[in-house]
Amino acid sequence: MAEAAAARSALEGLHRPGRHGKAEGAPGVTLAELQGIGLASVIVRKGKAAQASEAAKRSFGVDLPETPRRAEGKGIEFLWAGPGQWLALSRDGLSAGELEARLAPVFAGLASVAEQSDGRTVLRIAGPKARDVLAKGLPIDLHPRAFRPGDTALTVAALIGAQIWQVDEVPTYELAVFRGFALSFWHFLTESAAEYGWEIR
Amino acid sequence: MSQTSRLASGGLVDRGRPLSFTFDGARYEGFAGDTLAAALLANGQRLVGRSFKYHRPRGILSAGPEEPNALVELRAGARREPNTKATTIELYDGLAADSQHRWPSLKGDLLAVNSLLSPFLPAGFYYKTFMWPASFWEKVYEPMIRRAAGLGRASGVSDPDHYEKATAHCDVLVIGSGPAGLMAALSAGRAGARVILCEEDFRLGGRCLAEDRRIGDSRASAWAETVERQLAAMPEVRIMRRTAVCGTYDGGAYLALERVNDHLPVPPAHEPRQRLWHIIARQSVLAAGGVERPLVFGGNDKPGVMLAASLRSYVNRFAVAPGQRAVVFANNDDARRTVADLRKAGVAVEALVDPRPDAAKPGDLRLIQGVVTSAKGGRSLEGVEILGGDGKAESIACDLLAMSGGWNPSIQLSNHLGGAPVWDETLAAFLAGPLPAGMQVVGTAAGSLSLADCLRNGGEAGAKAAEACGFTAAPEPVPSVERDSNAVSPLWRVKGSRGKAFVDFQNDVTTKDVELAEREGYRSVEHLKRYTTLGMATDQGRTANVNGLALMAELTRRSIPETGATRFRPPYAPIAIGALAGHHRGKDFRPTRLPPSHQWAEARGAVFVETGMWLRAQWYPLPGEKDWQTSVDREVKQVREAVGVCDVSTLGKIDVQGTDAGAFLDRLYCNTFSTLAVGKARYGLMLREDGLVMDDGTTSRLAQDRFFMTTTTANAAKVMQHMEFCHQVLWPELDVQMVSVSEQWAQFSIAGPRSRDVLQRIVDAPDAIANDAMPYLGVKDLTVLGGIRARLFRISFSGEMAYELSLPARYGDAAIRALMEAGREFGIIPYGTEALGVMRVEKGHVAGNELNGQTTAGDLGLGRMMSSKKDYIGRVMAGRPGLVDPDRPRFTGFKPVNKADRLRAGAHFIAQGAEATAKNDQGFMTSVAHSPILGHWIGLGLLAHATERMGEVVRACDPLRGGEVLVEVCDPVFYDPKGERLHG
Repeated sequence: MAEAAAARSALEGLHRPGRHGKAEGAPGVTLAELQGIGLASVIVRKGKAAQASEAAKRSFGVDLPETPRRAEGKGIEFLWAGPGQWLALSRDGLSAGELEARLAPVFAGLASVAEQSDGRTVLRIAGPKARDVLAKGLPIDLHPRAFRPGDTALTVAALIGAQIWQVDEVPTYELAVFRGFALSFWHFLTESAAEYGWEIR
Repeated sequence: MSQTSRLASGGLVDRGRPLSFTFDGARYEGFAGDTLAAALLANGQRLVGRSFKYHRPRGILSAGPEEPNALVELRAGARREPNTKATTIELYDGLAADSQHRWPSLKGDLLAVNSLLSPFLPAGFYYKTFMWPASFWEKVYEPMIRRAAGLGRASGVSDPDHYEKATAHCDVLVIGSGPAGLMAALSAGRAGARVILCEEDFRLGGRCLAEDRRIGDSRASAWAETVERQLAAMPEVRIMRRTAVCGTYDGGAYLALERVNDHLPVPPAHEPRQRLWHIIARQSVLAAGGVERPLVFGGNDKPGVMLAASLRSYVNRFAVAPGQRAVVFANNDDARRTVADLRKAGVAVEALVDPRPDAAKPGDLRLIQGVVTSAKGGRSLEGVEILGGDGKAESIACDLLAMSGGWNPSIQLSNHLGGAPVWDETLAAFLAGPLPAGMQVVGTAAGSLSLADCLRNGGEAGAKAAEACGFTAAPEPVPSVERDSNAVSPLWRVKGSRGKAFVDFQNDVTTKDVELAEREGYRSVEHLKRYTTLGMATDQGRTANVNGLALMAELTRRSIPETGATRFRPPYAPIAIGALAGHHRGKDFRPTRLPPSHQWAEARGAVFVETGMWLRAQWYPLPGEKDWQTSVDREVKQVREAVGVCDVSTLGKIDVQGTDAGAFLDRLYCNTFSTLAVGKARYGLMLREDGLVMDDGTTSRLAQDRFFMTTTTANAAKVMQHMEFCHQVLWPELDVQMVSVSEQWAQFSIAGPRSRDVLQRIVDAPDAIANDAMPYLGVKDLTVLGGIRARLFRISFSGEMAYELSLPARYGDAAIRALMEAGREFGIIPYGTEALGVMRVEKGHVAGNELNGQTTAGDLGLGRMMSSKKDYIGRVMAGRPGLVDPDRPRFTGFKPVNKADRLRAGAHFIAQGAEATAKNDQGFMTSVAHSPILGHWIGLGLLAHATERMGEVVRACDPLRGGEVLVEVCDPVFYDPKGERLHG
């Protein structure tokens, strides 16, 4: 039968590259649906927090964050996702299920790992108007005094559950939403960005 | 001739930018910086509307959001907006407004006959008069009354503009940009605090714009401009013009409406018309100013009778002299300022009428110690009658009457959370009571009527607020200002006045209505409000409330504090529904969740149904199929005869891991999971703590310490929440971890006798799923389509041999296409939720209709699943006498006696020969379907003593939709009762 069936992202074919919304001036934000992102839930087993942390340190050279922060290790990032829980993120273009397969042995008996790469759509929003756009849907405070690069939050965006983290001071943010909501979220994002002009990168 | 009443110089309008506008079709000109009201007055247009009940001619009373009279319909067509206050509409070129509530025209309003009928139209008139026949109210009386009363007309078509909602956070929210607010913002801003300054007007300054005063070395308006420039230069200060703070909520939350583009005919492309802000502030400074009180005397609603301070706004800010000969009637020292400003504008002031016996004579002006008893004139003021303290009456011709009854501080936002206002005798006004956490009130809003106090208190409050947020702050130095006197003696109504004396202009409530309310026992202020409508509608009684309740106090011989004030509730200013909806309208009303095969199904022409937030294919019509039933019947038959595929990705999926995962599931479900073998699936039933059924679904064991659990689509989030609660609160000692993987997996049900044949075409190792290798309830990890990791479950909802194929969602689209391709030779069809539902009814499976939160496992015939060997949630409560009562209706099947009859869910069962009453009710039909296999309708339902009544005929009564069907009680499994087809 069919060889290597085609993978399809939640937004594939549903947006046009280029400039949209207000046409004058530099775009207020750039938007992108990130491809090739590997995600997995990591939840510490009872009484194994210290050992799980050591395992992460040993294998990835990273301290698992204990506050809503994002920590970068070798080829992997850990985003705090609740007490004793993280969303592991890889940008290595792994195949489906591969991140779980990589993490499971590292955390065997110490943390439960579940593949989430296909469960979430990760979007990036960057540019001078990123905060203004996000303020139209997110109730949390993204002011630099309240939310810095490396911070993450589990919140809601336009009635859709989302995890957000800040990448840099441009500012660039990335958001993960459940895959099924991706198109609704995209509508919110693009409608909110229209008055500033937006571009797909 | 244009702008006849515009002063040659002065004001804050831009004479270099004339703007053209129309009112009732006539063309006028105004200037940038005008409000519509100012521009109308500049053009000598004093008649602006007709009153609510009596259709009396009305003009412009005020210069702000308190305006009760000058309500207009703004714009036309789909953008028409009724009941907008001309005093707050920022003039733009091409503005078109119409007077409202008049017929056929403003000048010749025929309904003004109501005014002659007014003796017959007192408060409560409609309620008393149109009582019978009762059936006439809805069809005859109410439409008639609504036509005659009411205000503007809604456009009746969809709003073409878009609205937004947004959240802002700050340290200090300053509400109002008058002298106090500007000083507060400046002091907090200089300290480095994040400040949001909200101003309802399009220009910052508040009374600085309206008064001919100096602050420091400059005019007050210039001072405000300087401060604005300073604030604008502070990076952490955000100035929000055209933004009315409308509500105070818990936790420092405020609601504010920003009229982003209301000052333009059409919003620029991509911009919203309005934006509703949710502002989260650690501290707030309420500097909302105050509203001047009208005086209550005969004819006080005539066009030309205006609030004195508003008149100063028109003169000083808008450079308009709204008349030529004025009388000033006031009970306070502010009147001198009015006299001076009017004279400067060239208006002849005939007299100052002051009821206070100790009123001092203002220079060369004639002072009459006394009251105005009546304002005369038709569509415009022509003169006033005055009664002196010495008993002498006289008439003075004038076209302008400036009145002032003192000030009401604007304390609404301090009262939204409770804190009852406190009466202040000296000011004769209510001041804020106990304040919401973090709020300070300053300036006129706090009863400080002197400019020096406003500036000082504002600066202090701003600094204090910043300090409370951890900043080091100092109040701004207070500029020097001239001293002012603001003494007031209350005058709640003019006794002996002639003609209608209005308390509430917008609702046409007169002193007589208040008296009537008192006589009829509506003495509480809340009753007074509802009975007379005093204080209702768009102005929320800003000019009326205090006068009304003071009058009630006088009539009931109580003090004003004893009489009390009505509670202020959000919103402070009207908010369009569109702004409340924001982005969430039309298709975006709420988020939609799309399963992985959605685009494929859409291209296939599927009909969709919303199930929760999910959009699922309901059926897939083929060309020529005349109705849904034809399609659904075909889908069911094809599945039963060959094979079909259905996207079931919407089921809740939960990954449960940990050494205690099995033990955890044992406590969660009423049946046992710890004994389940790895590689097997089992149906589970979950009870609530109260013993009733919560949810069901299959759970598979993937490893000794790992389960893959499914929930119904509808209960996915609820079950997840329940599990988190059980783990975190009830059994934290268990080593178990759970996470939703609902969206990780695309899941397809492949059902029918040829299902395995189809699957063997796409799995990489076909032999692994042979009947013996993978029997019913088997679970296998495998690869499909050349190496895609997938998982196959041999489970069935349809009763046919069936599988559920689970694979990473990114491959969902490829999988449905591959399955359709692979199944072509076996006659595969896609089927939707309708066919799914028909097949489950044929098989007598319970679903949402039966798991309705009122049924027990026993009711559903699933009592055997309740383990007696372990404890689980709901076990004890399921044993309550009421839940094990043998009289409880039990789950069973029904078929019509006459096979042509249609069954309806919701019909109630009544024994034959018994009367169809609630008393004789024996249960109801929960689900029905037309079975294409059996060729007639079938039903599932709950019936008392069902097990003993097989074969009995009962009545299925449906009084709601009319009709009754005789049905025979039967086994709920209509199709393949032995379940042989499952095993293929």
